[in-house]
Amino acid sequence: MRLPGIIKTLALVLFAGFTVLPLIQMTLLSFTATLPQPGLEVGSSTWRNYTTLVTDPALRAAFANSIAYVLINICITLPVALPAAYAFSRMSFVGDKHLFLAFIAFRITPPVVLTLPIFQLFSALGIVNSVFGIALAHCLFNLPISIWILQGFISAIPKEMDETAFLDGYTRPRFIWKILLPQIAPGIAVTAFFCFMFSWVEVVFARILTTTNGKPISMALNALFGFRTDIGLVMAVTLASMIPGAVLVFLMRNHLSRGFRVGGS
Amino acid sequence: MKPRDATGWLFVLPAVGLLGVIGLIPLITVINYSFFEIFILDQRFWVRLEWYAEIIRAERFWSSFARSTLFSMLVLCIQIPLGIAIALCIPRSRIWVGLTLALFSLPLLVPWNMIPSLWLSLLNDETGLLGRAMGVLGWPAAWKDSALLTWIVILAMDTWHWTSLVVLLCYSAVATIPAPYYQAAAIDAAGPWQVFRHIQFPRLQNVLLMAVLLRFMDSFMIYTEAFPINAGGPDGASLFLAVDLGEEIKAFNYGPSAARSVLYFLIVLSVAWVFSKAQGKLDKAQGGASG
Repeated sequence: MRLPGIIKTLALVLFAGFTVLPLIQMTLLSFTATLPQPGLEVGSSTWRNYTTLVTDPALRAAFANSIAYVLINICITLPVALPAAYAFSRMSFVGDKHLFLAFIAFRITPPVVLTLPIFQLFSALGIVNSVFGIALAHCLFNLPISIWILQGFISAIPKEMDETAFLDGYTRPRFIWKILLPQIAPGIAVTAFFCFMFSWVEVVFARILTTTNGKPISMALNALFGFRTDIGLVMAVTLASMIPGAVLVFLMRNHLSRGFRVGGS
Repeated sequence: MKPRDATGWLFVLPAVGLLGVIGLIPLITVINYSFFEIFILDQRFWVRLEWYAEIIRAERFWSSFARSTLFSMLVLCIQIPLGIAIALCIPRSRIWVGLTLALFSLPLLVPWNMIPSLWLSLLNDETGLLGRAMGVLGWPAAWKDSALLTWIVILAMDTWHWTSLVVLLCYSAVATIPAPYYQAAAIDAAGPWQVFRHIQFPRLQNVLLMAVLLRFMDSFMIYTEAFPINAGGPDGASLFLAVDLGEEIKAFNYGPSAARSVLYFLIVLSVAWVFSKAQGKLDKAQGGASG
């Protein structure tokens, strides 16, 4: 291997080490008894944190809630983002630049700025303490970013394809559904992955919108902190909460590595 | 040239409707609240710009503002170059790309409220892997007493958490460069810097702009992650903008927290405006180059 190759590999290995170090700590702690329990000394290694995790009904419900709201969020975001991304990519209309700016402004608005009115609005609509409420609130940042990602994928498809389809008598919606959608399938997958990633780990909306019911994993984790926190159990739940995402990344690895042009027109 | 008509609005209508309900209506509510003294929501008094004046005059606001600005600048200076560098180091073989990308995205999957806990246990001087190793190297167990060390920890934590996003975005753009570009560069005996400057960087610009925007704004308004590290201390040295707002909301100060929210949203808007100007410039430059 030549010198640049060695430097590149070394940089990657160092960064990978930096990335996994806190995760190793987490894994080690998750297999350690951190609170005195009958028949277990503090500091001894144990599977008990994981058996607690599987048997505790509150934690099991939290996993179900998290999966539910993320799926609902993706099911709302994608169908709404797709036509918008198509419009931003292919059409020009009065105010398009400003509208895109407004969308981006909502993506970068910190959730804490809108927590209070969103809580009031959702209370009025009766969707507080339900997975649907969180799913809807998370559209605030997932929808703009989805439009941005999908726009890149659509722009990579030659425009001639649209024009040929229109000559063949396709209407725009039918063209999007029949021809464009299969072409940008990897883009849909990548977008869904980013929605999952940003939504799964968010806590500010998740906290204010679930005071009694519908708590996701992050809030179940919060509830574990107290006067005597079982940090081993906390780490076990955290590790378990990363598994769905890790599986998803692994399935997505080829889509991600093939590269995609994001943004731009 | 794209045809210019109103059909586009039909396609963006669902998105506009959705963001109108969950974004615009709450925003208008906040703006409305910011002009009132509110004890309970049915009983309010018009106070005009009093809350705004109070916030702007407070030294605390400006010191938080300065801290957040400095923090964001440091975050950008570290994470953007590091992200680009790592993205360019990723090998070309299929299997390794997948594995490295999957490995690097792991920090992005940790629930945000657990990130400070992870780092605090890592730095624990008795049980933490890093805490014990650093103790030998002279890292003090009482690092929380030092503003500098607290900042280093928060910066390291944020870099760990978010650099992967920059890597993912940059890699995705670099991977779309066709191989003949590199072959042509090799024939011209271009060095690594020239390859970066003339082949890779132009492809990166769009993505980088978004990466800078997301990293700037998300670190400027860092909330969940930074506070538990040292509770804003020592002596307020790690109190950032969003923490002040979070405290007012927790205390149910409707009026002042609304005024603060509006001020923060104005910052957001001006940043978004600069972003769109930069995007417009980029589009023009690229349009000029290709056409």
